[in-house]
Amino acid sequence: MPTIAIVDDDEAVREALGDLLMVSGLACQCFESAPAFLTALRSRRFDCLVTDIRMPEMTGIELIEKLHEEHAQLPVVVLSSVLDDATRTKALALGASAWLGKPVTDEHLLDAIATAMENSDPGTAR
Amino acid sequence: MISTLRDSLRQDAGIAEFASESIVIIDLEGSIRYWNPAAERLFGWPGLAVGGAPVADISAAPEDEVRAWSQLLQEGVWEGQIRRLTRDGEVRVVEARRRLRHDEAGIPCDVVEYAHLAQGANGEEIPDRSAPDVAMAASWEIDLTSAAEILDRIRSQSRTSGGDDRGDLCRRLLEAARIVDVNERTARLVGGNRGRELMKGQSVASFWPVASRAILAELIVQAFLDSEGKRFHRWLASDGILREPLVTIWRAGADRPGHLFITVNGTADDDRSYLFLRASEARYRKLVHYMPVALWQVDASHMGKIYADLRSRGVTDFGKYLDDHPELVGLAASSVPVTDVNRSAIELMGGKDAQDLIGPAGYLFTESPECLRRVMIGRFSGDRNYSELMKLRTLDGRVLDVRFSVTYPEPLVELDTTIFSLEDMTERLQMETQLRQIQADFSHAARIATLGELTSSIAHEVNQPLAAIMTNAETSLRWLARAEPDIGKVRQLTARIAASARRADNIVQRIRSMAIKQSPDPVTLELNEVVRESLLFVQNEIEQRGIRVTTTYSRDLPTVVGDRIQLQQVIVNLIINAVHAVEGLDETEREILVVTGVEGGSATFTLKDNGPGIAPEHLGRIFDGFFTTKPQGMGIGLAICQSIVTAHGGAVSASNRTGGGAQFRVTLPRARSLT
Repeated sequence: MPTIAIVDDDEAVREALGDLLMVSGLACQCFESAPAFLTALRSRRFDCLVTDIRMPEMTGIELIEKLHEEHAQLPVVVLSSVLDDATRTKALALGASAWLGKPVTDEHLLDAIATAMENSDPGTAR
Repeated sequence: MISTLRDSLRQDAGIAEFASESIVIIDLEGSIRYWNPAAERLFGWPGLAVGGAPVADISAAPEDEVRAWSQLLQEGVWEGQIRRLTRDGEVRVVEARRRLRHDEAGIPCDVVEYAHLAQGANGEEIPDRSAPDVAMAASWEIDLTSAAEILDRIRSQSRTSGGDDRGDLCRRLLEAARIVDVNERTARLVGGNRGRELMKGQSVASFWPVASRAILAELIVQAFLDSEGKRFHRWLASDGILREPLVTIWRAGADRPGHLFITVNGTADDDRSYLFLRASEARYRKLVHYMPVALWQVDASHMGKIYADLRSRGVTDFGKYLDDHPELVGLAASSVPVTDVNRSAIELMGGKDAQDLIGPAGYLFTESPECLRRVMIGRFSGDRNYSELMKLRTLDGRVLDVRFSVTYPEPLVELDTTIFSLEDMTERLQMETQLRQIQADFSHAARIATLGELTSSIAHEVNQPLAAIMTNAETSLRWLARAEPDIGKVRQLTARIAASARRADNIVQRIRSMAIKQSPDPVTLELNEVVRESLLFVQNEIEQRGIRVTTTYSRDLPTVVGDRIQLQQVIVNLIINAVHAVEGLDETEREILVVTGVEGGSATFTLKDNGPGIAPEHLGRIFDGFFTTKPQGMGIGLAICQSIVTAHGGAVSASNRTGGGAQFRVTLPRARSLT
């Protein structure tokens, strides 16, 4: 069963996403910040990352940049309410496979996760 | 001065040369300055012979001349018979009118005398006769019909041993005694600006000099109780107008029941000083009359006596006394007469002339009866003056906002005159209302601008709970769609949906309160609470930038009065400025300190940042409208902050911190107790 990482500083959003993925037959682990996720990533692998953009400590963009440098294989789906085009372009340029606006429908999110995982090379994903 | 006089004489002469009436101009030393041809014919003296000579030299009755002269100087006019020697040594009796003339500065300069031969009923010349009543100063006819009850009480008292309230009865007697008529001299002597017609029907007490009211009352009682119509006399003390005046009083004939006649005889006290007193008084009256402030002169002596009486009975808390005796306020409204008004007062009230405004002063307080109460308390407490904003209903029905001020009589002198002044504030208040409206419009525009700056934060804030709601709802549907629906899970998710919906609602409410346009609504506020609410608006901005915010809330803050939204606006604006100020620093160094405190009884809000600070040359202009150092800034944020804080009676200041960074401080006055 693929495991999805969720990074969002908002607890209500985190819990909701976690429940949705669970009922949809996906395993998931939630993180309240990007550094917390990066710490976990050192010791285990995830099949996909769903991340917010506006977060204290480290933003979603900074996280994607870091992953781009160190874990280019991990598929990333951005789920954010940021409307700024430049940020969106930057995220996609850094390898994010989808940019979804909040709020999102379950189908859109699940499709985006599935597509992201299909497009990545399962051989190199850790 | 002398040349002016000559010029005027020459002008006078031009007209007077052809007059058929004798016209003589006499200077204030009593010397003849001009003598027209008709005077030459009437008295036989050629102008050249009498020019420069004292007029007394050609008088057949020098003593009468002195009295007439005194009266003239006192009252400005004199009319009567004079007896003058002709060149043939005969006595000629003429009817004369004399008028005192003033120069432009109001200083008396000379006397013009018009005269013609006095004629008897058949046209014959009146022979020489003395005029015994030449020194009569004043005559009054008064009506006592409404004082009958008071007179009865005095009469019953005088049969017994008399009572303690005799003085009070006498006072009430003069209040009740009405003036039927007076002679012109009386009107000139005691009538103020009002004149004879206005005195008719008024209370005797409003005009008779205070010092001798008690004596007059006693005389009235004597004359009234006397059945034979005897005359009663009393010498009064010299009063600065008349020397040793003699009052005579007697009952009118049967055709005028309840009426008394009063005469006052006496010679002028000191014509010279009186002359100049009159001149300065005339100038003063003119000044007062044309003053652009509406003035009322009222006679509150009656109330003054009541107050003195209450004080002697130990009343100290007059406010409480009025609570227990509200009728006293009504009494003041109906018994304190307006005795004189100036032109501005007539204009303010929309009256035709002074007569419209003479009478009980109560009409001033119909819209603001509480004001009269406070005026009374001020007088009772011995204040020198009192002022407040009140509503005034004018004679033509307008209601104006006026500043009412009263100057009470000096307690020691008790001149009996209280002056009210009223200033129309309607326009000023309207202007202030408009200014407040403009300020509110501007504040609103600035709030919208601030919200615009916060748009992405707001979108983020609202979308978070919306995202949670949508996902939870869809997850619930998935649980329900299973072969064995998990109701427990659905219940949990539904509770989360409700919680997120409440959160979204709170955010929307908060933003809407900032966005809607509403009139400032001053309420009592806790400044700490306002600061906490304001921080919510910018929390996202702060978190996104990793700024460390330290808050220190004073526990001893006094409450303040203000508009919650406007004060939030000020604090949000200042915090946004601070956020921008620290943006350029390394993320780990960004720091903002929020401190509330007490300073001199006021509540303060201080915001410190560790940004670059304010350039010294900008410090003085930072609160000016349209001053900005930001490329996208409109420069209204701080200007609006200042206008809001000022409108709240507070102050806002900016300075640089010694260790670097800027500091803004808002001071708001302590809320005054509303009780």
